[in-house]
Amino acid sequence: MTSLNTFGAVLSYAIQLEADLASYYQKAGNAERAKEADKRKSKLERVRRENVLEITLEPIEGLSEADYALDFEDTSSAGQQKIEGVAAQFYADAAPKINVLQAQRALERYGKEHTALSDA
Amino acid sequence: MERILKNYIGGEWVESAASDTIAVTNPATCEVLAHSPDSSAEDVNSAVLAAQEGFEEWRSTPVMSRAQYMHHFKVLLEDRFEDLAKIIVEENGKAIDEARGEVRRGIESVDFAIGVPFMMRSDGLEDVSSGIDETTLRQPAGVFAAITPFNFPMMVPLWFLPTAIVCGNTFILKPSPQTPISSELIFELLEELDLPPGVVNLIQGGIPSSQAVMEHPGVTGVSFVGSSPVARIVYETCTRHGKRVQAQGGAKNYIAVMPDADMNASVKNIMGAAFGCAGQRCLAAAVAVGVGDAYDMMKDELVKYAQNVQVGYGLDEKTQMGTVISDSAKERIESMIQQGEAQGAKVLLDGRNLTVEGYENGAFVGPTILGDVEAEMVVATDEIFGPVLSLMKADTFEEAVELINKSKYGNAASIFTSNGKQAREFKYKVKAGNIGVNIGVAAPSASFPFGGQKESFYGDLHGQGSDSIEFYTERKIVIERWT
Repeated sequence: MTSLNTFGAVLSYAIQLEADLASYYQKAGNAERAKEADKRKSKLERVRRENVLEITLEPIEGLSEADYALDFEDTSSAGQQKIEGVAAQFYADAAPKINVLQAQRALERYGKEHTALSDA
Repeated sequence: MERILKNYIGGEWVESAASDTIAVTNPATCEVLAHSPDSSAEDVNSAVLAAQEGFEEWRSTPVMSRAQYMHHFKVLLEDRFEDLAKIIVEENGKAIDEARGEVRRGIESVDFAIGVPFMMRSDGLEDVSSGIDETTLRQPAGVFAAITPFNFPMMVPLWFLPTAIVCGNTFILKPSPQTPISSELIFELLEELDLPPGVVNLIQGGIPSSQAVMEHPGVTGVSFVGSSPVARIVYETCTRHGKRVQAQGGAKNYIAVMPDADMNASVKNIMGAAFGCAGQRCLAAAVAVGVGDAYDMMKDELVKYAQNVQVGYGLDEKTQMGTVISDSAKERIESMIQQGEAQGAKVLLDGRNLTVEGYENGAFVGPTILGDVEAEMVVATDEIFGPVLSLMKADTFEEAVELINKSKYGNAASIFTSNGKQAREFKYKVKAGNIGVNIGVAAPSASFPFGGQKESFYGDLHGQGSDSIEFYTERKIVIERWT
């Protein structure tokens, strides 16, 4: 596992996370959550595209993929809650590390959405 | 069979008349991506004739319609954003985030061009004399060309082309033969706009086509971005041939770090400024001058951060710094580090002889920091255009300003401080076209003019912003009396 040490690495990880969640919820038969994950993925792609400027590219420290291991095999209700909790933790950790305000807001927003889902 | 790129002239992709080609190589993998034709004066002449033919129809196309093309162009650029970034990485070697940033900056220039209908408006005055009104008209000026560099193969062409054509001119782009594929993709997208033939033209090649662009009587004006010696040649050649010209040259950008600066934030910012795009940008930080205690404070922190920079292939998201443009650039950079060392600079962090696993033949130079640099050393005076940061000491703010102003270049300079008075003095006294205050890369956004001073710029009107409207238009004064 490697560290998420750039703006692109963090955003790309988040985009892949939402893509994986969309597939996961399809498999779990929850079309609504799959659609929400897919929507977040599209929005994150736009955030990456619109907010990456060379003057803001400073190294990011203290984020590692290893801290956000996800079990996509467990589609039970408990498994879904656990996955949402890990996703929420990722967004909570990542948001303050990003020095671009719009991107930071998006990560905070998605962190809250995942927290709400993990509590549901 | 490796493909040979084509020129785009008069709305068609055409083969060059020249038989010589230039290999386009991925500087990390050493794969030959394509061959650029070394286009000839004959090719340039065809492009100029097409641009001249297209001009009359295009200039009479309503300005709002001309701007509409750029709305569509922006959509296409957004749709192909990741493809554009990937091509930049492949032919230039920079990290994917930097390539994305470059595409974003390019799109900002398209956004700016969409506003040309507003910016091209002129003024007038009634009754300058009895019953006489006087009005300024701003009109397109003809065929413009740009000769653009390898370091921002997507962004720099877009500094010029969108504004030039929305102003009603026709345009010829001659990109660097080291990075021509980005321009090919730009033109594939432009082709989708169904612009009238001749409005935009692409000539691939090196010196012969550049020379022909500068000398052709049908070209009204030329924009250039590159090194200072070449900028001077471009300026002199173009003016000798009666053209307007904006020639942006090289740089040796100094950063003054005051003892009262937020050292942690400053060092992080200086890191990006010095080593971003492997130091191959005209706004890269090349010399950091530590004032008083700041020297020792920043030195250790810079080395600590720089030695952890992840150097690798730009398409890997974790890569923080990619290659330099070529093996010969790597040799030149390493040779200049050697010269600095021989003149007495202390190598605090050595990026020479770096190999990256899986890309053993790639043109990698790691972050390099030289300490105890003196004003007369080559690493303090000459542009290295690589990931090399020279550290110098100054006892006072005034001494730091004097060191900066001694440079023959004047593209950018920055200060890191928490003292507003010193920041003001810095803005006031330093001779550079772009000033950063607690910003390492003082890069103007698309709505501001961009250009340096001293040997960093030859011409008067800078690129981008309101200067670009002046550059791409003629003003005509109309004095009327109706009795």
